Amino acid sequence: MTQQTVLVVDDELAIHRFLKPALTAEGYRVVQAMTGAEALRLAAEARPDAVVLDLGLPDLDGKEVIQRLRRTSQVPIVVLSARDREFEKVRALDLGADDYVEKPFGVGELMARLRVALRHAKPSPDDGMLRSGRVEVDLGAHIVRKAGREVRLTRREFDVLVALMRHVGKVVTHSQLLREVWGAATDGNTQYLRVYVGQLRQKLEDDPAAPRLILTEPGIGYRLV
Amino acid sequence: MIKDDAPRASPDALLGQAEREGRGKLRLFLGAAPGVGKTYAMLQAARAAKAGGRDTLVGIVETHGRADTQAMLADLEVLPRRLVPYKNRLIAEFDLDAALSRAPSLLLVDEYAHSNVEGSRHPKRWQDVAECLKAGIDVWTTMNVQHVESLNDVVQRITGVRVRETVPDTTLEAADEIVLVDLPSDELIRRLAEGKVYVEDMATRATQNFFKPSNLTALRELALRQVAAQVDSDLVERMQGGAIEGPWAAGERLLVCVGPDAQAERLVREGKRLADLLDAPWFVVTIERPGATLDQAAASRLDASLQLAKSLGAEPQSLVATDIPAEILRFSRFENVTQIVVGKARSRRWRAPWTEGNLADALVRRARGVSVLVLTEGEPAPAPAWRLPEPGGWAGYAAAAASVVLATALGTQLVRFVPLPNVSMLYLLAVLAPALLYGVWAAILASFLSFAAYNFFFIDPVETFTVARPHELLALAVFLIIAVTISAVAGQAREQMRASARRTRAARRLYAFTRTLSALPDAGAVADAAASEINAATGRAVTILRPDGSDLAIAAAWPPDDRLDVPARTAARWAHEHGEAAGAGTQTLPSSGWTFLPLRVQDSRVGVLGIERAPGADPLDAEVRTLAAALAEQTAVALHRALLSTEVRSARTAAETERVRNILLASISHDFRTPLASILGSATALIEYRDRLDEASREDLLAQVRDEARHLDQMVRNLLSMTRLEAGALEISRTWVDVREMLDRLVDQARRRGATQRFVLDLPADPVLAFADGTLLDQAVGNVVNNAVKHAGAGASVTLVARAQAGGVTIEIADDGPGIPEELRAQVFEKFARLRTSSADGGDSAGLGLAISKGIVEAHGGTVELLPPDATRPHGAAFRIRLPSEPGTSA
Repeated sequence: MTQQTVLVVDDELAIHRFLKPALTAEGYRVVQAMTGAEALRLAAEARPDAVVLDLGLPDLDGKEVIQRLRRTSQVPIVVLSARDREFEKVRALDLGADDYVEKPFGVGELMARLRVALRHAKPSPDDGMLRSGRVEVDLGAHIVRKAGREVRLTRREFDVLVALMRHVGKVVTHSQLLREVWGAATDGNTQYLRVYVGQLRQKLEDDPAAPRLILTEPGIGYRLV
Repeated sequence: MIKDDAPRASPDALLGQAEREGRGKLRLFLGAAPGVGKTYAMLQAARAAKAGGRDTLVGIVETHGRADTQAMLADLEVLPRRLVPYKNRLIAEFDLDAALSRAPSLLLVDEYAHSNVEGSRHPKRWQDVAECLKAGIDVWTTMNVQHVESLNDVVQRITGVRVRETVPDTTLEAADEIVLVDLPSDELIRRLAEGKVYVEDMATRATQNFFKPSNLTALRELALRQVAAQVDSDLVERMQGGAIEGPWAAGERLLVCVGPDAQAERLVREGKRLADLLDAPWFVVTIERPGATLDQAAASRLDASLQLAKSLGAEPQSLVATDIPAEILRFSRFENVTQIVVGKARSRRWRAPWTEGNLADALVRRARGVSVLVLTEGEPAPAPAWRLPEPGGWAGYAAAAASVVLATALGTQLVRFVPLPNVSMLYLLAVLAPALLYGVWAAILASFLSFAAYNFFFIDPVETFTVARPHELLALAVFLIIAVTISAVAGQAREQMRASARRTRAARRLYAFTRTLSALPDAGAVADAAASEINAATGRAVTILRPDGSDLAIAAAWPPDDRLDVPARTAARWAHEHGEAAGAGTQTLPSSGWTFLPLRVQDSRVGVLGIERAPGADPLDAEVRTLAAALAEQTAVALHRALLSTEVRSARTAAETERVRNILLASISHDFRTPLASILGSATALIEYRDRLDEASREDLLAQVRDEARHLDQMVRNLLSMTRLEAGALEISRTWVDVREMLDRLVDQARRRGATQRFVLDLPADPVLAFADGTLLDQAVGNVVNNAVKHAGAGASVTLVARAQAGGVTIEIADDGPGIPEELRAQVFEKFARLRTSSADGGDSAGLGLAISKGIVEAHGGTVELLPPDATRPHGAAFRIRLPSEPGTSA
């Protein structure tokens, strides 16, 4: 397996100072950027496999960096953000970030999220099937199976599940889900989502009270793992 | 279905009932004369009440040494009396405060009409009782019918004895129950003969006169009638309160006009009698001419009449007007008065025939649709001394002499052309001029001078004073008549002009006052302005007190000293608590040297206005009183407004504080996150990858944990310093600090923390010593350095200069970064003044750094300033810190 490259973008020297040895120890090649402009340049030059991006940058807004990256690449992006800036987090995810880690964070957590992001970035075989763990969705036949047994879903439930499965491992924000399932003209009522996700859990989870398939990201959205 | 014309409860009756709720009930044991056994009856009833379980307290009971009465007191709780020193004696009085704080369910207070000794809170005992009732205590009391105010005259007519202690009819009408204690006349006389009746302050002869069977019968009849009337009015009130239809008295309204003369009191009593007969509301008015001042006796007589009127249930009013009958008629139209009562005074003052003359006649002549009742004079009052107007100044006499000289000069010329008698016309003019301009004395002088001059210069034998013919004396008489009449008319006109000018001045003053007050920012300033203005308007010492916690405190005084003695303060508190005027000239604490007017706006009490009325000083005339009242009202409004705006301001300040706190919290949580993130990150990296990291990386991560922990510590110290600076509790322990070493250290620290800037140190070879607190100075200068590192940009260079100069040390820290925008320069040293150029995570301070630097440097007696850009340094930010080398000398 070739060595994967991670681009770390943060204006704080202190963050680089511990991320670099940790990522190196984990076996990644590390590319460092202190500003947004540098990050965009390095993303083009070094073609990283993943980007760890701090939202607060001196020159560009981190969200703008995501937007510009997404124009040319589907590279997984894990955002570093402050805990009290929920709105920014959601915006970043909506713009195409894959996941987020709140500062301050333990290195272990970041590594785990990074691994998930890298794994799901691998193109899945395009056979009209979506798979995650024991759940598989046959898009053509509109059939959902759990451990080989068919599960009957309503049309909306199916749509919600497919939206989550398409971004497996990624946080899908409420508005993203609403847009994908109900179309652009929704008024953002997350109450619907709660209902459908609840029903999906009833049908798909082993223990609907302790979900392991569809996880809630409080205040932000859902993530299917 | 609701009938529209269904009888409704009269609002007045309901109001009366509502007012009585929550108040104590008053039971009055009424007797016709002393000795009928009122006190005994009251005590008997009280024993029964006590036996029935009521909490009964004897407030004060006079037994007059009678054993049977004394025995009745045996089982009852008796309140100790309060000893009041008066004229070297101790007088035992009812202890109102003790009774109020003991708060029994039922309180016995003997002798309702008793006058309290001077210096008590209220002059009369019935006022003490009123306060107890107000406090919700039921009171039983005793009284003889002769003490009823409106019966005072009648009693005097019957018995020939003037009763001084009286009780206003209103308080009698407020009694919830009246118990008539009656004894046949012969029985009473027998008891008197047996010495069982104690009669106070009455000569034996008077006593004998008083206790005649005929008198007693008349008094018994009076008492019975009084009780009957009370029963009657109770019934009427209940009928009205219960919306029972019945014949009500037609809407008669009575107006009694009184002046400062002796018959005022009689007019008031008569008015009360008439008002009772007609069952009519009644007013008592007095009208003063503007500027007219009454002598003290007259003023206090007038005050007394008005007080009497108030106590008899009338609404007293003081008006100011030049045309008195017109003002009375205007008032009566305004109040829908149907009958005007006026006294017919024998006019003792000479009046010009075209003035109104006698008020009664004028009213009769001019009134339309109002009956005028003229009361004839009663007992002849001592005639007031006839007074001429004050003699004028010398100017008047000089002018009189001059005009006569002029007339004489003209006359000597004219006499050649016209017959002699015509020359006397010139002297008429000579009298006329001073009469018009200077008043009667100057005119009289002119008359005599004219007569003399005419006689001397023109009448044969010329140049001698001889009165040869009677017509010459006639000339003198004519001169004098003209002098007096013209000067009277002119004087009146002058007075009117002056009065209207005064009124204009007063109005203007009030307007200016209102404007001044409305512009003042806080209650203190309002009180100051009001005190000095009211002092100017009234000529009296003025104090304004405002509530301060549970007590009143002087907010302003003019002249500015605390002249309030204890009684005055008590009166002020009373006025404040009860919302009524108190002190001199009122019914409450009148022995105090001050009059206090409550300052209130709607229901909120904002303070008390005190006006000094020193003993012996003239009472305020009506015009000034009115002005003072208007000023007090404006003051109250202004104070209220100031208080409200203060409240708004403090609410705003609280909101601002809240906002600052929120910013602080947000900043702190943000600023702490970065060092925390790197500590947590480094530590977790060490834990997870200890074996896979090389030695150098491990060392670096550990160092980072240490550095960031230090950084955190520095921020915590900054925060603490800020708090201490703001609380004024910064402790400075000075030693000699070498600034060169300090700057070296700070640069080193900055580099270790990742500063990429180029640092240029410009330091002299010799030590630069500052006498300062090393730790605090490190913090102060370090914050400025950090500021440069943060904002100058990665490639900038930072120059640090230190110089020892005469009297102090100068440190300059300059960078060649983008500098500080013009609009932010002024706020650079304020808390949370943070450049918002960098994004959310940029910067690592709460914007406290420079504020703290400033605070610390200033606490050392030094200064820190942001230098403006100049030719040598076109851009970038430059700070200069100066520290004095000696403690206490500022740089």
